[in-house]
Amino acid sequence: MEFEFTEDQLELQRAVREVLDAEAPPELARAVADGRSDGDGLWETLVGLEWPAMALPEESGGLDFGWVELAIVLEELGRHAAPGPFVATVTQFAPLVVEAAGPRGAAELLAAVAAGHTTGTVAVDEGAGTWDPASVQATARRDGDDLVLSGTKHYVVDGAGADEIAAVVRLDGEVRVVLVPGSSVQADEVVPIDPAVRHSTIALDGVRVPADRLLGDGDAAQAVRRALEESVTAVAAVTVGACQRIFDIINEHARQRIQFGVPIGSFQAVKHKLVDMYRDIERARALVYYAALTLAEDHPDRTPAASMAKAAAGEAQRRCVQDGLQLAGGIGYTWEHDLHLFLRRAKVGELHFGSASHHRRRVARLALAGQDGS
Amino acid sequence: MRLTYSPAVEEFRAEFSAWLDANLPDEEATTVRPRSSADIPAWSRDFQRRMFDDGWLVPGYPPEFGGRNADLYEQAVFWEELGRRRITQSFNPQGLGIVSASIITFGTDEQKHRWAVPIMRATRTAALGMSEPGAGSDLAGLSTRAVLDGDRFIVNGQKVWTSGAHHADVLLAFVRTDPDAPKHKGISALIIETDTPGLVRRPFRDIARTEPDFNEVFFDDVEVPRENLVGELNDGWRVCTGSLAHEREMLWILWSQGLDRMLEDMLEQLNDGAGAGAADDPVVLDGLGSSIVDSWALRLLGQRQLARSQRGLHVADQSLLKLLGSEAQQKLALLMLESLGPAGLDRTVPPDAQQPYESDRAALSWADRYFFTFAGTISGGTSEIQRNIIAERVLGQPRG
Repeated sequence: MEFEFTEDQLELQRAVREVLDAEAPPELARAVADGRSDGDGLWETLVGLEWPAMALPEESGGLDFGWVELAIVLEELGRHAAPGPFVATVTQFAPLVVEAAGPRGAAELLAAVAAGHTTGTVAVDEGAGTWDPASVQATARRDGDDLVLSGTKHYVVDGAGADEIAAVVRLDGEVRVVLVPGSSVQADEVVPIDPAVRHSTIALDGVRVPADRLLGDGDAAQAVRRALEESVTAVAAVTVGACQRIFDIINEHARQRIQFGVPIGSFQAVKHKLVDMYRDIERARALVYYAALTLAEDHPDRTPAASMAKAAAGEAQRRCVQDGLQLAGGIGYTWEHDLHLFLRRAKVGELHFGSASHHRRRVARLALAGQDGS
Repeated sequence: MRLTYSPAVEEFRAEFSAWLDANLPDEEATTVRPRSSADIPAWSRDFQRRMFDDGWLVPGYPPEFGGRNADLYEQAVFWEELGRRRITQSFNPQGLGIVSASIITFGTDEQKHRWAVPIMRATRTAALGMSEPGAGSDLAGLSTRAVLDGDRFIVNGQKVWTSGAHHADVLLAFVRTDPDAPKHKGISALIIETDTPGLVRRPFRDIARTEPDFNEVFFDDVEVPRENLVGELNDGWRVCTGSLAHEREMLWILWSQGLDRMLEDMLEQLNDGAGAGAADDPVVLDGLGSSIVDSWALRLLGQRQLARSQRGLHVADQSLLKLLGSEAQQKLALLMLESLGPAGLDRTVPPDAQQPYESDRAALSWADRYFFTFAGTISGGTSEIQRNIIAERVLGQPRG
């Protein structure tokens, strides 16, 4: 194993950071939080830089950079609490379309994504919060050349704004993926804890789409699981980035803030909390890039690795939000301070796509069944 | 980034693996067990000597010192093979890993051949005299005195926590040679033969094991020839902090393997129904998942350190890896012990739990394993000291 970035990857990281420092400063996240901006300008900039294309397969007009490179971008998006449809479109919608339809079947659709003409999202969970395709109850039935859908989907990221929704439903008992135009559904937007990551409850009842919007052939449960491994790893990468920013803010605060005549970072009670935050971030980042590597190489360990990444990111956010907010003292409790922008992004990562505890138990069950990834 | 080693490194692994197949000691002989960390049974002395002679004992060293100039990735797969087969590199770990390593790094040619080579070839054993009753976390505050008197030092004072001293032939002891200098600048490193008049060893038991390993070592006008000074006079702190430098990129592997060893046992025992259905308890599963993440994080961060060192970058992750590894072991041992419920009350270790070439420490009861993990979070710099080090040296926080 060679577990360190290549020179090219380090260069990409520098370039991505530079772009986002300029294009997604905290003022942007704040403007979205205050309702003064929808953040769409950033998406247009990223499309212009071909970032959405970067991660997509070559067959679909993408640049096929690979998953480690995508994880680098995602971590930086989290580090900047960047708004916009990148995460849902590139790491939730695109993988599900590719897995369900195959790279060729998905080519036209993803070319539109790569070109920035189409944004997307996925509708999987129905309220259990586990994103398990086996528990999907929503249905599609054939009606002439159309499919008629029924059911309700929860926690659909960008559900009210995405151009296309890849909805997981049952057709004749099989798990299938259907493309639903965002304009054709009733999206009930939830008031979000992070105003830059909006999600909706989607009513599919009575929605009618042409039958050619059904992706692939046969049962898609495995396709959904594989796609979710990418989505879960992506959320973990974003969460690690947000945690890193929280840590950077607090570590600097501890060096600068003088009380009792000394920087508060000279107190062991503060030092040790900082180290535990740092340790949990390093731990989570290691698992995120391991998961990215297994995705890049389509290694069998991708299943436990994705859950380990999500679990580790969840543990990191828990500590960073808790101790970060505590160590910031009163100033971090104010709306004016930037800290809460990143606290929100970190907490969103925990609550979407299965909690840390859910994924820890999943990792344990896989290991007990002999699929521990080693 | 990639998941696999290069073909050349895998070839190295295959070569070592074939050597082990041909050279492992007869299992029958291994019923004679080491009694302390400086007591090597004859079968193991013989094996360690063959490892040295064939260049497999410390692969990163040149052939003269039991190696083959292996690079860091080759050293990593060497450790992986030992771990996978549950083979202990040496039953005198401080002797090989610290005492001989210090002499190789800081000693004269004569010292290397007189002490380091015999320790590596297991014809002699060594213990490490660092801590004192008044110098634990504040190691540089040690007060055992050595006064230079012509061509010899006269040593007076006391060491403690000296693992295996009662079975060791020599000590590498850190002593104060200049009481007027700042505390880090008045320390020297001496090799002291344990049969020197005036040196008394008193072994004492710890809470996890039945045989004593620790010792108090008392020095009462112990005469040590000046030629036993390792490094320059009053430059012992450099020897003390540098002794692990040659293989500090590798230390995490032992934490990682210890954790994986426990994890394998836990998975096996839970699958066998241990703890009356603990394998279905969501709380146990939650903890187990976290420990599996720990195990991977340790392996991955260790590998990252290797990759960085291999590229010649400065690496400051040792404290992080020690903290992560030692606390992860503690967390897992506690989880398993509590998962067992009343079955955890039994201290008996099944006789087949002991692997022939592995340290007996790996096969303790879960209660004793849990206690033994405190050797990890206390010795070699406590977890609290590691956190201070990381905060100050890595995170840039001011000293308190």
